[in-house]
Order: sequence, then C-alpha cells, then structure tokens
Amino acid sequence: MSANAARSIDDYLKQLRAALEGQDPALIQDALYDAEEYLRAEVAAHPGKSEADVLELIASTYGAPEEVAAAYRDTEAKVKAALKTPVPAAAAGASGWKRFFGVYLDPRTYTSIFYMLLALATGILYFTIVVTGLSLSFGFAVLIIGIPFFLAFIGITRVIALGEGRLLEAVTGERMPRRPVHPGPPAGWLKRIGEMLADARTWTTLLYMLLMLPLGIVYFTVAVTGLAVGLAFSSLPVLVLARWLGWANVTFSDDLHIGFWTVSEYSMVSALFLGALGVLILTLLMHAARGIGRGHAHLAKALLVVPG
Amino acid sequence: MDDSQARKFQKDLNAGLVALVLLAVLERSPEDLYGYEIAKRLQKVNEGEALFKEGTIYPVLRTLAAGGLLTSRVVPSYSGPPRRYYRITDEGRSLLAQWSGIWRQTRGFVDRFIEGTDL
Repeated sequence: MSANAARSIDDYLKQLRAALEGQDPALIQDALYDAEEYLRAEVAAHPGKSEADVLELIASTYGAPEEVAAAYRDTEAKVKAALKTPVPAAAAGASGWKRFFGVYLDPRTYTSIFYMLLALATGILYFTIVVTGLSLSFGFAVLIIGIPFFLAFIGITRVIALGEGRLLEAVTGERMPRRPVHPGPPAGWLKRIGEMLADARTWTTLLYMLLMLPLGIVYFTVAVTGLAVGLAFSSLPVLVLARWLGWANVTFSDDLHIGFWTVSEYSMVSALFLGALGVLILTLLMHAARGIGRGHAHLAKALLVVPG
Repeated sequence: MDDSQARKFQKDLNAGLVALVLLAVLERSPEDLYGYEIAKRLQKVNEGEALFKEGTIYPVLRTLAAGGLLTSRVVPSYSGPPRRYYRITDEGRSLLAQWSGIWRQTRGFVDRFIEGTDL
C-alpha cells in the first residue's frame, strides 16, 4: 500500500475518503459511517492500548483503506445492476411519439407525482420544525436547557435528512445515504454544539427544510391542477358519447371558456378536441413530474449529502 | 507466483461466499448481532490470515438487508452512535439452505479434480 499506515481514526477516515474519491457522495457517507463505527468500537474494546497501537492492526483486520474502498465500489456496482428498474422499451426506440407517451410506462413518473402531492405536507412540517426549533433555541440559549434542546433539534434535522433521502431514493432512484452522519467521538456538550455550528451541512439541511415549503406548494399545485384539468378534459369524449347514446343523463353546468372560444353545448367534435387536449396536458404533467423528481433529488443531494 | 494473483483469486472466490457466511453466522446466532460483533466472530474463527477483511462485510450486510434476507433494528448505545442489529428472515433462511446445497456440491466437485480421485 502506498499510503502511510494510519495512526489515528481521523487519519484512517481521511485515507478512506481519498480512496473513494469520485464515488457517489452518498456511498462515501455510508462507507465512512461503517468504518468509524468499527474503528471506535475496536479502540473501545482495547482500553489498555493507545489509538495508534490499535490502528496498526486495522490493516490486517478491517482492511487497508484501498481494500475497503474497493469492496464498497464492487458491492455498489452489483446492487445497482440488480436494483435498476428496467428502462421501458419505448425509451430505447428512437421514435418521438413512443418516447413522448413512453412516460406512462415509467414507474418513476407515478412515484414522482406521489412525491409532489406529499411535498406540501412534508414542506409544512419541515418548515414548522425549523422555525420552531431555531426560535426556541435562541430563546433557551440563556437557560441551561438551551444546550440539550439545540442538540436534540439538530439531531432531529439529521434524522429527517436521512428519512427524506430514503424517500427520494425510493421515488426517483437517485442514490442517497443509508447511514446517518457519524456523530464522532464522545465529547462534551459545548464541543458538540461548536462542531454542529461549524458544520456546513447543519446549515444546508436547515435551508433545505425551509425551501421545502415553497417548493412543496409549487409541486402540489402543479400536480393537482395538471391532474384535475387533464383528467377532466380527457374524460369529456366518454361523457359526451354516453349522453349521445342515451346511457347517462350528463349535464354540463358551466360554459367552458378557452381564450375567445366558448363551449356551451358539447358536440362530439369539441369533446374530441378537448379530450386530445386533456391527454396532452396529462402527458406533459407526467414529463414535468419525472423531471421535477429528478431535479429535486439533485437539490436534496447537494444540500443534504454533499456538504459533509 | 506473486502475491497479487493469490489475492485476486481469493477476492473472486469471496464475491459470493461472504454473503453465504454472513447468513450462516446470523442463522446460528440465538440473538441479533451488529456489524462489529459479526466481524469479531469471523475473526475468532479464522485466526491468523483472514480470508476476508472485516471492512468488506458491512456493504454486504446492507445489501442483504435491502434484499429482504435480513431485518435490522437500530438500538441506541451508551458507548457511541446507535448500533444496527441484524436478524435473518425466513426468506434468508430458505436462501441459506439453497446456497449451502450449492456450496457443498461445488466443493465436492472441485475437490474431486484437485485431489485427482476421478481422473
């Protein structure tokens, strides 16, 4: 091994991080967590020995950073191949029509729409937690309970960051961490708080949680509007046909205004035209949802994972 | 023959065997185990030169859990961060039985050639 043997846990983690350079940040977080957990347990299991003595044996038990990095890379490649959702056949075909409507076959489309609808609820929740947590932290700062309160508040945001990542991975397939951030060696409360305040990720996580409210409102509105208008329009031909055949007594209570064009009595022609418009709106919504899911996952990664 | 070829051969062999060994360890264990404990049990068995490094079992544990072969729960620990305890599922048990059969068959097959009894 080219690198010098690590003499401390921090050293080892630094070498492991260097060996994983270029990998997905979520994978790096997982690997560092596992290694830190093992190393701290190993040091704690040998109270008589110094950290450097324990670390000397690590290369032959846990493995040198390069070996461990290789194991994570291999496993990741295998898991990715196994879990990858098959690309719908339409996406492979070059035809524009097939690609346009192929979005209906992609499971990610539907999970993304689900996420957009859910985002309003989670957005309100996250925003409330951050605003309440921050203001109470300031308020309690002069009291003795200010310290544990702030630690608990930041702890909760980390759990939420992990949970949000798991949800987004399920929805969009973007690789997100499966382990939280390792809290590091046991330390005094004030030292802990100092570390949290100095950690850029603490602040980007809070920013993400605040951003979720406006984003959640936009996502929810787009999804509900698109679904309502698209489904209503695309069902018109069926309703008008049912009325024409006398199967159902459908009455349309309101005139429909689109620009200068007013539809008051729905003929089959206008219903077919509006039906096609509805399908177009639905399909565009599907594309938008998939794009929003992908974009949002990248935003989440940039704010919740990368700054670590 | 240099060392790196031996290491590569061992690594190729381990690709599937680590998962088999981990399933077996968890099947035999009456209580749930966490990563470090599992690593120590393996270390105790292969004294001297380890067949695989303990750092390589964590990603495999996670993969097995993601595949529904293990369940896990997180328990807070006084001496550090919370620990993730693993337990084998019924699906894991039946897979272990199947894999053990394949392993015995493979071992028997390879041994017959290496020992030259059938040639």
